Amino acid sequence: MKRGKTMELGVGLFMLAGILGLLFLGLRVSGLTFSMPGETFRLEANFANIGSLKPRARVTMAGVTVGRVSAIDLDTDWYDARVILELDAELEGQLSRDTTAAILTAGLLGEQYIGLSVGGDPEMLADGDVIRDTQSALVLEELIQQFVSNMVGD
Amino acid sequence: MIRRIHALGRRGCDMLEALGRSAVFLARASLGVPAREGWYLWLRQMHFVGVLSLAIIVVSGLFIGMVLALQGYTILVDFGAEQALGQMVALSLLRELSPVVAALLFAGRAGSALTAEIGLMKATEQLTSMEMIGVDPLRRVVAPRLWAGFVALPLLTVGFSVVGVYGGYLVGVQWLGVFEGSYWSNMQSSVSFIADVGNGMIKSLVFALVVTWIAVFQGYDLVPTAEGISRATTRTVVYSSLSVLGLDFVLTAVMFGGFS
Amino acid sequence: MFDNFSRLASMFDSLLVEVKGLRFSRGERQIFRGVELRIPRGRITAIMGPSGTGKTTLLKLMGGQLVPDAGEVLVEGQDIHGLSRKALFGLRRRMGMLFQSGALFSDLNVFENVAFPLRVHTDLPEAMVRDLVLMKLEAVGLRGARELMPSELSGGMARRVALARAIALDPDLVLYDEPFVGQDPISKGILVKLIKQLNEALGLTSVVVSHDIAETLSIADYVYVIADGQVMAQGTPAGLDVDEDPRVRQFVHGEPDGPVPFHYAAPDFLQDILVREDRA
Repeated sequence: MKRGKTMELGVGLFMLAGILGLLFLGLRVSGLTFSMPGETFRLEANFANIGSLKPRARVTMAGVTVGRVSAIDLDTDWYDARVILELDAELEGQLSRDTTAAILTAGLLGEQYIGLSVGGDPEMLADGDVIRDTQSALVLEELIQQFVSNMVGD
Repeated sequence: MIRRIHALGRRGCDMLEALGRSAVFLARASLGVPAREGWYLWLRQMHFVGVLSLAIIVVSGLFIGMVLALQGYTILVDFGAEQALGQMVALSLLRELSPVVAALLFAGRAGSALTAEIGLMKATEQLTSMEMIGVDPLRRVVAPRLWAGFVALPLLTVGFSVVGVYGGYLVGVQWLGVFEGSYWSNMQSSVSFIADVGNGMIKSLVFALVVTWIAVFQGYDLVPTAEGISRATTRTVVYSSLSVLGLDFVLTAVMFGGFS
Repeated sequence: MFDNFSRLASMFDSLLVEVKGLRFSRGERQIFRGVELRIPRGRITAIMGPSGTGKTTLLKLMGGQLVPDAGEVLVEGQDIHGLSRKALFGLRRRMGMLFQSGALFSDLNVFENVAFPLRVHTDLPEAMVRDLVLMKLEAVGLRGARELMPSELSGGMARRVALARAIALDPDLVLYDEPFVGQDPISKGILVKLIKQLNEALGLTSVVVSHDIAETLSIADYVYVIADGQVMAQGTPAGLDVDEDPRVRQFVHGEPDGPVPFHYAAPDFLQDILVREDRA
């Protein structure tokens, strides 16, 4: 029976390791978070073109991740993209009203993310506010087209 | 010529018949989980096919993750996109390599052993004598092995992915100097739990079913001689490897191919 | 002679197993062409014949593991092949079978092997199972070996453990498949004694399939000799010993050549050799 006990223990540990591994794949690899409501606050930003920005992309300030993109949809009033950002609660009331949001690319072919930079307005953004000053994604084809037409113009 | 066609037809009929027999076999064995003692029999097989396969899975996972990072880095660095290394390692592991390689290793390590074990039990008349005692060997011998295989391979696949991602981290971040933050964050922003981890698990479940099914059926259906056992063991590895690779293509086309 | 017949007649009053017009073939090969057997209750009946005549197949047919092409096997008047799976498994509770290789379960030790039928078919408390198993092991003289695994047993011991397992549920009928084959003289002697003793002590009906003439004839009450898919001869051991049929004589007295040829069917030897030379 002693062999039976160590075997049971082995199988138990094996299954536990499997479940922990799945948890690791969920949290660390696919970046699921068990965020408590109230830990974040929401801001909206409208972009003329979001390029290939995807939900759950990072939002950074000075290179530090401060939140994620929670949803992207088409704003039918203006026909541009409405991006909903979820930011760390500690930034609530710390971002000035003229904060800019830009869609940036990590490296030449890397993922796209949103970079925030603070302005000088004394009034601060609150939960649910809209960031007015935005900068769309750089689309490589447009850049090349511009470059080529400038060359022709010269 | 006529004789060739005749032989081909007979082979086709034989194959169809074996397929039908194995389907009936699978249904009877997987539904007939014995109530008493079944738990303990299953546990023993879990130990055999799961715990004892862990070492080979972990070691292979580590090396595959490391190689992926090394190869990926040399290509990505040309485009200045080495930050995408984490994403590349994780996606190739979760979607393809973990389910497929784990299933192939499982077929070689556990599948062939299952075939040989059941075959030897058949050759030494253990299955017949069990039947004479009034116990259905499908329930007592085959069912626990089948269920252990179903459960063990997906768990092993998870282990393979985890270790592989870590292996990629070791080579990419610790050795080649990819920035640690971008390794993980690139990975997290591109890997979806449902679409990538989930689909990988579905693949792994399908492979588990197919590999274990082939292994126990080959064992149960073999010619009970030394030669028969060795041939059946080979067949288990060949058939299950081919079915895993073939099914992988079909599943990938359905899951990630973009038809819907 | 007359005396003998009347004794047999009284034996046939109470038949446990009756095989009628049994036909069976494997692929193209016909193994049985109308076999008739009557197995009386409480006796040892031997089924003998040269190797390869399908004696083991016959036992499997009697145990309901194979289905005949024609004919029937009646056990206590029930056609065993007409029974439902459940009824068949119920009937097998009352049959024990000793396999040629012993067929002990290699993942269980000796004790658990003998306990296996008890655990499967009864809900006896553990203490009772223990007592019963030790009793059966004592009967075959292997009580001391109960902790050993089958791989640690000698061939003779394995067969004795298998015998203990076959009688674990106190069956009515025990089928022995080649119990003496591959045993040393001492083990053979032990097995002969055990089969005889168990038959008498437990009131079993035994069917022994064997081609070991001396051992089998020494314990059997009645003998069937099977050859060419049919019952070639039958009678008491004493009767067979003096049988005049040349085929029976050859088998019973172990003569190498006779009506049953030494050579496998082949073309003429000289011609065969010449053909090979031609090719070379």
